Amino acid sequence: MLQQLINGITIGSLYALIAIGLTMVYGILRILHIAHAAVFVSGAYLGLLAYTYTHNLVLTLFVAAAGCCVFGWIIQRFLYTPLLKEERIVPLIASVGLYIFCEDLFRLVGGPYIRAFTVKLWFEKLVFWGTVITSQQLLIIFTTAACLGVVYLIISQTKLGLAWQATAQDMDTAKAMGVNVKQVVNFNFLIASTVAAIAGVLTAINYNSVLPTMGSVPAYKMFAIVVLGGMGSIPGTIAAGLIIGMAETIMSAYFGFIMPRDAIAFSVMILILIFRPEGLFGKK
Amino acid sequence: MTPALRVQNLSKSFGGLEALKGLGMEVAPNEILGLIGPNGAGKTTLFNTICGVFPPDSGAVFLEDRNITGLSTHRIARMGIGRTFQIVKPFNTITVERNILAALGKDRTKGLSPAIFSTGLKKYRAEVRNLLKLVGLEEFIGHTPNVLPLGHQKRMEIARALALRPKLLMLDEPFAGLGQEDITSIVRLIRKLKADGLTILLIEHNVPYIMELCDRVVVLNFGEKLCEGRPHEVRHDRSVIDAYLGD
Amino acid sequence: MSLGYFSTLGTFIGIYIILVLSLNIISGYAGQASLGHAAFFGIGAYASALLTVKAGLNFWQALPLAMIAAGAIGALVGIISLRIKGDFLAVTTIGINFVIVAIFEYSEFFGGAYGISGIAYPMFFGLKIKKIYYLLMVAGFAVLTALFSFLVSKSWMGLALETIREDEEAAEAAGINCKKFKIIAFSMGCGFAGLAGVLYAHFMRFIAPNDFTFPISITLVSMMVVGGIGTIRGPILGALILAALPEILRPLANYRLLFYGGLIVLMARFQPQGLFGKNAFILRMLFRKDTKKTTLPDNGKIAGRAV
Repeated sequence: MLQQLINGITIGSLYALIAIGLTMVYGILRILHIAHAAVFVSGAYLGLLAYTYTHNLVLTLFVAAAGCCVFGWIIQRFLYTPLLKEERIVPLIASVGLYIFCEDLFRLVGGPYIRAFTVKLWFEKLVFWGTVITSQQLLIIFTTAACLGVVYLIISQTKLGLAWQATAQDMDTAKAMGVNVKQVVNFNFLIASTVAAIAGVLTAINYNSVLPTMGSVPAYKMFAIVVLGGMGSIPGTIAAGLIIGMAETIMSAYFGFIMPRDAIAFSVMILILIFRPEGLFGKK
Repeated sequence: MTPALRVQNLSKSFGGLEALKGLGMEVAPNEILGLIGPNGAGKTTLFNTICGVFPPDSGAVFLEDRNITGLSTHRIARMGIGRTFQIVKPFNTITVERNILAALGKDRTKGLSPAIFSTGLKKYRAEVRNLLKLVGLEEFIGHTPNVLPLGHQKRMEIARALALRPKLLMLDEPFAGLGQEDITSIVRLIRKLKADGLTILLIEHNVPYIMELCDRVVVLNFGEKLCEGRPHEVRHDRSVIDAYLGD
Repeated sequence: MSLGYFSTLGTFIGIYIILVLSLNIISGYAGQASLGHAAFFGIGAYASALLTVKAGLNFWQALPLAMIAAGAIGALVGIISLRIKGDFLAVTTIGINFVIVAIFEYSEFFGGAYGISGIAYPMFFGLKIKKIYYLLMVAGFAVLTALFSFLVSKSWMGLALETIREDEEAAEAAGINCKKFKIIAFSMGCGFAGLAGVLYAHFMRFIAPNDFTFPISITLVSMMVVGGIGTIRGPILGALILAALPEILRPLANYRLLFYGGLIVLMARFQPQGLFGKNAFILRMLFRKDTKKTTLPDNGKIAGRAV
């Protein structure tokens, strides 16, 4: 039982980390950023490259984050911002097209096979009360907690964070109040991409694999998590990520595979939306 | 004589905010009643409650002798209340003609098949033309509202409300954002509508026009009726002056 | 490149045209998000497959029933759309796609991951309809669907849907029962998707859950957006282009998806109204018509008619 708890929290943390970037982009731009999965995958690949050469985890995360920030900025500047005035469905389609493009690009550049991403920490695992927690799991849980904590603090405590909140509420009003909206948008993508990069690296470590299609696991499920949390709500997304992670783990452990994991996430989401159409932490 | 509209002990809260507190008032048939009050007094909330956008927490609304409390907006519209909005809401990408036509389908909302397969919109064309002629927009019949200036859009919205052949016309700040010429033409329109027998309830901030146009005025503040009466009575009422000065 | 190849390609294009036209009723006319349309494609296909393979009905009997099944579940989604709105609804429709496919994949009744095979050819007076005749049949249904879309757009319901798309609050104030029409739009759109499903099932004669996944829904939405949302020519041309494209790109073999994805990005970025939509570059070039939005002279200050 405790084992499932640990597994669930690990997966849930990863989900929360990936979903945070998505929810932040939605919060500011009101765009469903499917291509976030592409940023996530690029983080994994960059991380693998960096780790292969440096064997330094911290440096790896920096490199991955830096690369993803550039990637994210390009997407925002050249694809999303010009499309803000169009009908809502257009940036979504653009994002999907971009994801398809990138997934194939990863396949062509990085090869279609699975690469290993083995990280050896100074201990292998802890065993207590009959449960095993691997060093990778500990790494993930602590790193994600740290990241999410930092993001939450930035948004709620700093001046830029307040500007973020104002812009998320209403971009036009914020602009009228003198908020530098452009700066907020850039800053937003910076954080979202950094977090995606870290999530990419950690996911690759967790499953010890990097492959071009690894984006398809989070890509769609992330939306269930973001919506469940109440779109644009950071605490909501964290809670939803953990809930879904736990739900999946419990479902597959105790009930066998009655449903593919994506369907589980969406079923939980739909059920809760029916009772609370604005999501767990959403505003009416 | 049955009032055209009667609002009885109406209350509505949003979270902790009490927007309407036990409000009661009447609109007599064929009168122009002005609704004024400082921002946040509850005027638009009152409109929304009457029109069924949301039900009141308590109280009742009567259209002539029918209780319309809590009914859905489209039913209330069909029963005879036409309204315009504080921020004009045209159907932007369809023509002015179709904007008006949309409100004319009174017998098309019952049942399934008439709505789906009735393509006989042509027979309403004359009526649309007349309504547009009434508000002076006949030449713009083929344009879409998004290329028209605000004054034209507001007049179109009035025509759309009139297409319902309402017993009561509710106008939410019809003069807001308009220049002198537009305001004059709408004032003239309102007078003509009254002459044709319509009952009109209007919200406005522009006090001189209210005084000139309305038969009676109701003043709201903090969701309650502060005072009511003929325009000149209300203008000199102590509590009204305080409310506006204190705003 | 035999006749058989073109006939097969044509049949697929026809099926896609029906699918995108049906999606257009929900998203184009009524403006409601529907990102899981492939689920109803699947419901129609599975319904017809089960009715013919397990219940012994023939194609012509199964077809209307399958459409009704898809339409009924579509109506359910319509009801859900009354409660869950906007982007929440968009993601909910994605979720519905996943859940329905999961049901197909994990229940024995629907044949599990293996799907349903051995679906019969439709019969026409004792003759099996296949190959070029199947194409003709699909083309016929596509024409019917286009005609239906056209009638709806010209009808009272079409006007009601337009107003719902533009501004629901104003539509209600104009006396339009938005709830009713939303549910009708969903059931119509989903019903016709079911029709496409039936045609698909009896063409492939074997269906599996994988044929109806979320990426297919996205393909349908892309076709609608690329072609021009809200029109009738848009979905038809969009379906044609994006269905034929993978075939045209075949020589690019390894780079197909790259081009496909890239094209969609470019399209969305530079021609968001669709290639054949209301303000399209191509149409303007062809007809030299200035269809751009114009503001009236003098910023519209016209001495209006005196009232």
